[in-house]
Amino acid sequence: MKKKMLAMALAGTMAALALTGCGSGKGSAAASSAAETTAAATTEAANSSTETEQTASAGDASAWKPTKTINIYCTHSAGGDTDYMARLLAKNLETELGVTVVVSNVAGSNGATCMQQYKDGPKDGYTFIASNTAALNGNEVTGMVDFGYDAFEPVAVYGIQSGENLVVPANAPYDDLQSLLDATKKNPGQIKLGISTGGGVYIESAVLQNLGGAQFNVIDEGDAATRLTALLGGAIDVTSLPYSTAADYIKDGQLKSLCTLLSKAPTLLPDQKTASETIPELKIDTEYVLLAPKGTDANAVAAVNAAIVNISKTDEWKEAVNSYCYQDPYVLNVDDTIQNLKEQRDLFMSFKDFLK
Amino acid sequence: MGKNYKSDIVPGIVLMVFSICYLALIPTVSEFVGLGSTPLTNHFVPELWGGVLLFLGIWIFVRGLRKRKRFLAEGGIPEKGAGFWSSEKEVVESFVALTIYVALMTPVGFVISTILYITAQILILTKVELWKKTWLPALITGVVFGVALDYIFKVFLNVLLPTGILGW
Amino acid sequence: MILQGLVAVFQPLTILLIAVGTFVGIIFGAIPGLTATMAIVMFLPVTYSMTASQGISTLMALYIGGISGGLISAILLNIPGTPSSVATCFDGKPMADKGEAGKALSTGVVFSFIGTAIGIALLIILAPVLCDVALKFQAYEYCALAIFSLSMVIALTGHDTPKGLVSAVLGALLATVGLAPIDSRPRFTFGLYQLNNGFALVVLLIGLFAISEVMAYAENVRQDQNFTVKEDFKMKGLGFTAKEFVSNIPNAIRSALIGVGIGILPGIGGGVSCMISYTVSKNLSKQRELYGTGIMDGVVASETANNATIGGAMIPLLSLGIPGDAATAMLLGGLQVHNVSPGPLIYQNNGQVVYAIFFAMMVAAVFMLLFMMLGMKIFVSVLKIPKNFLLPVVVVLCGIGAIGNANMAFDTYVMVGFGLMAYLMKKAKIPSVPMILGFILGPMFEENLRRCSQLTSSDPFYNHPIFMVLIAVTVVVSVFSVRANQKEAKIAAGQEKKALENAENQ
Repeated sequence: MKKKMLAMALAGTMAALALTGCGSGKGSAAASSAAETTAAATTEAANSSTETEQTASAGDASAWKPTKTINIYCTHSAGGDTDYMARLLAKNLETELGVTVVVSNVAGSNGATCMQQYKDGPKDGYTFIASNTAALNGNEVTGMVDFGYDAFEPVAVYGIQSGENLVVPANAPYDDLQSLLDATKKNPGQIKLGISTGGGVYIESAVLQNLGGAQFNVIDEGDAATRLTALLGGAIDVTSLPYSTAADYIKDGQLKSLCTLLSKAPTLLPDQKTASETIPELKIDTEYVLLAPKGTDANAVAAVNAAIVNISKTDEWKEAVNSYCYQDPYVLNVDDTIQNLKEQRDLFMSFKDFLK
Repeated sequence: MGKNYKSDIVPGIVLMVFSICYLALIPTVSEFVGLGSTPLTNHFVPELWGGVLLFLGIWIFVRGLRKRKRFLAEGGIPEKGAGFWSSEKEVVESFVALTIYVALMTPVGFVISTILYITAQILILTKVELWKKTWLPALITGVVFGVALDYIFKVFLNVLLPTGILGW
Repeated sequence: MILQGLVAVFQPLTILLIAVGTFVGIIFGAIPGLTATMAIVMFLPVTYSMTASQGISTLMALYIGGISGGLISAILLNIPGTPSSVATCFDGKPMADKGEAGKALSTGVVFSFIGTAIGIALLIILAPVLCDVALKFQAYEYCALAIFSLSMVIALTGHDTPKGLVSAVLGALLATVGLAPIDSRPRFTFGLYQLNNGFALVVLLIGLFAISEVMAYAENVRQDQNFTVKEDFKMKGLGFTAKEFVSNIPNAIRSALIGVGIGILPGIGGGVSCMISYTVSKNLSKQRELYGTGIMDGVVASETANNATIGGAMIPLLSLGIPGDAATAMLLGGLQVHNVSPGPLIYQNNGQVVYAIFFAMMVAAVFMLLFMMLGMKIFVSVLKIPKNFLLPVVVVLCGIGAIGNANMAFDTYVMVGFGLMAYLMKKAKIPSVPMILGFILGPMFEENLRRCSQLTSSDPFYNHPIFMVLIAVTVVVSVFSVRANQKEAKIAAGQEKKALENAENQ
């Protein structure tokens, strides 16, 4: 919980210090405070105050207005959740900013291809990169790329995924993470854990093995779809799947979820246990993030962030995010976004020793 | 029968050289030994393909040598390498045009480079005697397709075709 | 629910969308360099704002149209429009050269329709049973399947087996460029991040077929200025007789079953199914030697199988939520966006959408048949366009396809590189088709072989009967094919000798 607590405490402080003001400089923001749910926090942002905490990076949201087409490059291919959220954002940004917003997919290598290509892209404020934090930080920590979030100008975290879940067949003899860990210790190397080497699931399995003391027989089974096939076909005993992939099988009584890997259960699935209850460090929060090439005009970044905050307050956004992510709207201002990325990176970096 | 030994010897040599280079590169690939690593590492299959290719290269090379021997024994006279430029001029030109096209596309933009390429390629594929009659239709084809395809794919279908200096 | 599905599809707007989707799909399929997958990728975002039934109907129409359209350029230009129609070139082009372009096209279209229909039928009737089969295929089985499919190379190469193998191995070798399967370590990328994704199949296809076709023409610029291919486009009815049709029914059914079978196994796809079906059809035929010279059966085998693969691929997608290839992965995304999650509960939760998909596929298949039959005259007129004008435009379209595939201009350089490689291979008399099989199957073989190596300790191979059977079949087929090739080589050598003697006598 360390990371989330920090984020929340910080967000809370910031909210208390007050954030936005018309023309007061800093990009308007919505942040989750320790006491409130994320949803409530978005309304919080509306309460403006005079006091602002200027940092060097903060731009003036009112000093920039787009006049031509904005390009968003999505790091993952069409059809996935990162793409869906990017397009949802683009559609809403069009109405909010009054210019055309085009999303193009430059997919591959868990988003690394796109990030490589556009991290030093046009700095005019019309070029953005839509990705997710697990890919951004995960690629750095696993050594896929040699740069991190600080190679970009982060614009906003604008949503949380429904989360990875540890999933087992419904008739499996364990009901929570602890009993699964115990079972692996009793039969070392006998319980087969299906993973995908290199991604968030890999980080997760490394933490299970190294910090949870689990003794799985770790087997690579590729992406979520093939891991699902392998689990259903009995080739593996346990794997990690996005909730949305496993949902129907869980409802159908074929599979069961032991816990979510999110630091906090999704707002619409409040009863889920979290993995961090058992292993405190085991938190994979996949959040959708908008980035801009390094050196992009701070005013443009602030203006787009302000627009995203406004969008997150609409009913339409809430409805879409509720049904797609099982989450409430969650949008951070520029500084909180940077802070959030830093915390996740620090957490991931603490695993570096066992991610060879 | 043995006359075509050259199409065995030359590819055989090329394949052998290529597969040796490929095999030599394999050790530069970082082997993954972390959690969930496989007993057969990411070197194994490249080694397998590289090895098989080397074997096939040798096979074809030796086969070519044998054919040559038989051919010479039957009293054949080896052909002199015919002037490559004279027989394959258009092919070389086409590859050069294509290379310039893709190299120019990013800096100059899709529309201009395409107009130039289509015009040039049409002329390359036309007898020189007919160029007088062809250059105008070729240019028109280039302009029409360059502009139309750019519009259809960039504007309508959102393909990231290079825009280039002039913003086209 | 069936009724609701029917109502959802038989709305004027939905029907219109299916018609447009099929039409656009055929165009994407027919243009070399643009594929069915690309059509779906480009139009997927458009469907986000439609209703679930409309969106998925449009995507299905694009899919069916795209896979079917590939036969047009395969037959007329000898350039497969999509990976799925590679095997259609083998006999389609020789038929067109013989002046039977119309017959080849109508054979392709009619059997594409039949293949689609059989695929849909099996999808509707046998989905649950076939799903269980698909789940039995895990690492061992896939590994054996890859080996089995690779052994088809021997049969595909004809008389020069070593060179066929060279081509396949080169293909597999090219596929090792990029991030390694399983551990995502970069291999042979020379530090270029653009190579991390490896080479794209469609770019390889462009190089092997489209660019080399341009170069083949360039070689002959000064020799013959016969711009137009002979086109005696006189065709009565469908161009083939009822007798020919009937004699091809067993071939078609077998090819459709192969297509569906490969379709239900995730990760293989139409590119392999058409080639395997073609090879099987050739090996079982009484007129084996006529394959490749312009025989209708070859087109039937390829086109029935690749379209049947669509129905096959939909089975795991709908019943398990597992996409088999890039195209169905897009479809999965297209469904999830509308809160339809494929999987065991799809009939309960979204039965209406499932039936809408079935009806949309049927309607799209009918539109495909209709459009392709009506368009036949227009397609054939492509042959009348002087090739010196046509080919440069084709190259440009291929360039767009290469860029559009991953939105990277870098891929155009790769395209030129592959073009050069294809040209040199042609000079060296190395066939290009086995390369495609090697390129697709190489990574599948590697990934599963390495998984097997992880499994051997706890789950040895003799626990896997399917694995054992496939390996045994592979051995038998390989021996058979090598023998057949030797026979062919003898015949070829004999003919060459005769030709030489004749030449000397004159």
